[in-house]
Amino acid sequence: MKKIRFGFLGVAHFHADNYANAIKKIPDAEIVAVYDEDEKLGKEFSNNFKIEYYKDAAQLLKREDVDAVIITAENVKHHDYAVKAAEAGKHILCEKPIATTVEDADDMIKKAEKSGVKFQTCFVMRYHSASILVKNLINEGRFGKVLALIGTNKLNSSLPLLRRWFTDQKLSGGGAVMDHTVHLADLIRWYTNSEASEVYTEIGKNVNKNIDVEDNFLTTLLMENGAVGHIDGSWSYAAGLYTWGDVTMKVIGTDGVILLDAFKQNISYIGSDKPNDKLTWHYYGCDCDLEMIRSFIECIVEDKNPIASGIDGRQGVAITIASYESAKIGKPVKPK
Amino acid sequence: MTDKLGVAIVGYGFMGTTHLSAWRYINECEVKALIGRNIEKVREVSKKFGVEAYNNIDEVLKRKDIDIVDVCTPTSTHASYSITSMNAGKHVFLEKPIALTLKEADAIIEASIKNNVKLMVGHVLRFFPEYMKAKELIDRGMVGEPVIARTFRGGPIPEWSPWFLDKNQSGGVAIDLAIHDVDYLMWIFNSKVKRVYGVVRKLVHKDITAEDFALINLRFENNGIALVEASWALPKMHPFMMNFEVDGTNGMISFDNQSPVPVKLITSESISGFSPESLPWRPAVHPFPVDPFYRELKHFVECIKEDKTPMTDGEVARRSLEVCIAALKSAELNMPVNLPLKEG
Ligand SMILES: NC(=O)c1ccc[n+]([C@@H]2O[C@H](COP(=O)([O-])OP(=O)(O)OC[C@H]3O[C@@H](n4cnc5c(N)ncnc54)[C@H](OP(=O)(O)O)[C@@H]3O)[C@@H](O)[C@H]2O)c1
Repeated sequence: MKKIRFGFLGVAHFHADNYANAIKKIPDAEIVAVYDEDEKLGKEFSNNFKIEYYKDAAQLLKREDVDAVIITAENVKHHDYAVKAAEAGKHILCEKPIATTVEDADDMIKKAEKSGVKFQTCFVMRYHSASILVKNLINEGRFGKVLALIGTNKLNSSLPLLRRWFTDQKLSGGGAVMDHTVHLADLIRWYTNSEASEVYTEIGKNVNKNIDVEDNFLTTLLMENGAVGHIDGSWSYAAGLYTWGDVTMKVIGTDGVILLDAFKQNISYIGSDKPNDKLTWHYYGCDCDLEMIRSFIECIVEDKNPIASGIDGRQGVAITIASYESAKIGKPVKPK
Repeated sequence: MTDKLGVAIVGYGFMGTTHLSAWRYINECEVKALIGRNIEKVREVSKKFGVEAYNNIDEVLKRKDIDIVDVCTPTSTHASYSITSMNAGKHVFLEKPIALTLKEADAIIEASIKNNVKLMVGHVLRFFPEYMKAKELIDRGMVGEPVIARTFRGGPIPEWSPWFLDKNQSGGVAIDLAIHDVDYLMWIFNSKVKRVYGVVRKLVHKDITAEDFALINLRFENNGIALVEASWALPKMHPFMMNFEVDGTNGMISFDNQSPVPVKLITSESISGFSPESLPWRPAVHPFPVDPFYRELKHFVECIKEDKTPMTDGEVARRSLEVCIAALKSAELNMPVNLPLKEG
C-alpha cells in the first residue's frame, strides 16, 4: 500500500510535535514537509523530524506527493491554510478550535467539501479509549438516558505561557474560553447526540494577572434534548501541579453515573534529591494522538467520514463564540 | 452541676442524635430534654441517653433550667420552633438551612434581637477539619487571591427521611445541600455573591416534589467565580461524596473525601473504600481529632458565655439562603439573577 504523506502547515501549537511523533509510529504514514511563517520555528521542526522546510505554503501544497496537511498553526491562521489546502486537493487534519469565527469555520468546511477532501478536527477525546468506553456504555444503555454531564478540562497555568501566541488575542482569538471550551463541548454533544440550545458563561478575574486574555471560566450548556452540560476549561491549575491538567466528566444517567478521568493512568514518582521533592505523574494510558491520526488515515484510504468531522469542529466554534457573547452581556446565548 | 447550661433538643433523627452525642462532651452543658411528635419514639431514644422525653415543646420552654434549644427538625419547621423558643428567652442553635424563605429568616433574626438571645445556624462545614484546614491555608495566603472554585456535595436520594423529598419541607437539593458550600465559599472568598446562574432540576427522580440536582454558578462581589454542584441524583450504592478545589493567583488547594480514606471495609458482599461519613453506622471512635459537631456546639456555648456573636449567626445564614433562593429563581427564568433579591 502507498504511504500517506503529511505536510505541516504551521507548527506553532505544541501538538505539532505530538502528531509528528505519532506519525513516526505508523508504518503506512510519513511526514515530508513543514511550512511555518516563523522561519526559526519551522526550521527547528524540520531539523527535528528531518523533513523539508518551506518558506511558502504554496510551494508545499504544490508537492504532488503530499496527500494531507496537518494544520497546527495559531488559531487565526487555520482558515487561510485550510482553504489553500482544500484548493490544492489535500486532505486536512485541523487543530482545535478549527477557527475563531463561525463564518470562517463554515467557509473551511464548504471549501473542503467542494474539492472532495477529508476534513477532520483534532478532537482527540473522540479517539481516547477511556472516553470511547464511556460512549459505548451510553450506547449500550447501561445506565439509562444521559441527563447531565459535568466536565473539567483544566490546564496547568504555566503551559499557555510556553508559546506566546496562546495569550496574544490577535493570534489566538482569545484565552481559556477559546482554547478549552471545545473538547468538553464536543464530548457533551457526542454523548448526548444533541446540540446546545443555550450557553451561559461566567469569566472570572485572572489567575495570572500578567496575561491579556482570560484564563478561567465556567460554562453551562442547555442541550436541545433537555440534558445539561457544564464546562470548566480554566488554565488555572497551579504551575507546581504534578501533571499538565485533566479531562474529567461526570455523566449522570437515569440509572447510574459514570466518572471519567481520562488521563488518570499514571505512575507516581517522587524524587529524593531533597526533602519534599516534588511528586510527578507519568502517564501510561492510551495515546489518543496516535489513534486519531490512524483513524484519519483510515478515512483517507477507505474513503470514510471522519469520526470528528468539520461540522463537529464548527459546532465547537459556535459554542465558544456564544460563550464570549454570554459573558459579555450576562445572559444565556443561543449558538449560531 | 447547677451552673451547667440546660439544653433541650427538638428532633431525634439523624441530626438530633448526632447533636445529642456531641453535647455529652461539652462540660458546660447538660441535655435535659428531647422533643418530638411521636412520644414512643422520643422515649426510645431519650432512655438510651438518659434525658427526659417530651412531645410538646411548650412544656419544655416553661422550664427555667433550660437555657438552650437545639432545633434539629425538618427545615419547614425551623421558624416556628426557633421563634417560640427565643420568645421564651432561650438561646437557639438551629440546624441549617436557617429556613425556607427570607421572610421566615428575617422573623427568626428579629426574634433573636428582640429577645436578646444568641442564635447560631449549623453551617458545620466551617468546623470540619478538612474545610478548616483549607480556610487556614487560604487565609495564610498560600493560594494567593482565590479566583475560581468548584465544590461537589451529594450522594443517593435520602429516602430514609421522606420529608427531604418534599419541596415544601426541605426546599430541595439547591437549598438543603448546596447551602453548605455556598456558605463555605463566601467564607473563603471573603466576599458576598453578586450574581447567580443556576440549573436546578428533578433530574433522576421525577416522582418527588424536591429537585435532586443543582448546578449553581456564582459570581462574587470581588469577581471570583465558583461552581456549586449538589446532588441527590447519584445511584443507591454511591457513597456520600464531597470535594472542593480552589485555584488562586498563587496556588491551588483541593480535597476529595473519597481519597484520604483511613478505614476500608472489604466483605464477601462488597468491596468499598469509604470515609467514616459514608458508613451506615457511626464508628465508635471518630477518626477526626475533634468531632465537627462538638466543635460547632462548643463555639455556640462560648458565644453565650462570653457574649460574642456566633460565626454563623442569623445574618450570615440568611445570606447563603438568599443565594440558594436566587439559584432556584434563576433556574426557573433561565437567566442570571442579581443579589440582593428584591423580594423574599
Ligand atoms: N449539618 C448537617 O450536616 C445536616 C445533615 C442532615 C440534616 N441537617 C438538617 O437538620 C435538620 C433535621 O434533619 P434530619 O436529617 O435530622 O431529619 P430526620 O432524621 O428526619 O429527623 C427529623 C426529626 O424532627 C422531628 N420533628 C419534630 N417536629 C417535626 C415536624 N413538624 N415534622 C417532621 N418532623 C418533626 C422528628 O420526630 P417526630 O416525627 O417524632 O416529630 C424527627 O426526630 C434539617 O434542617 C436538615 O436540613 C443538617
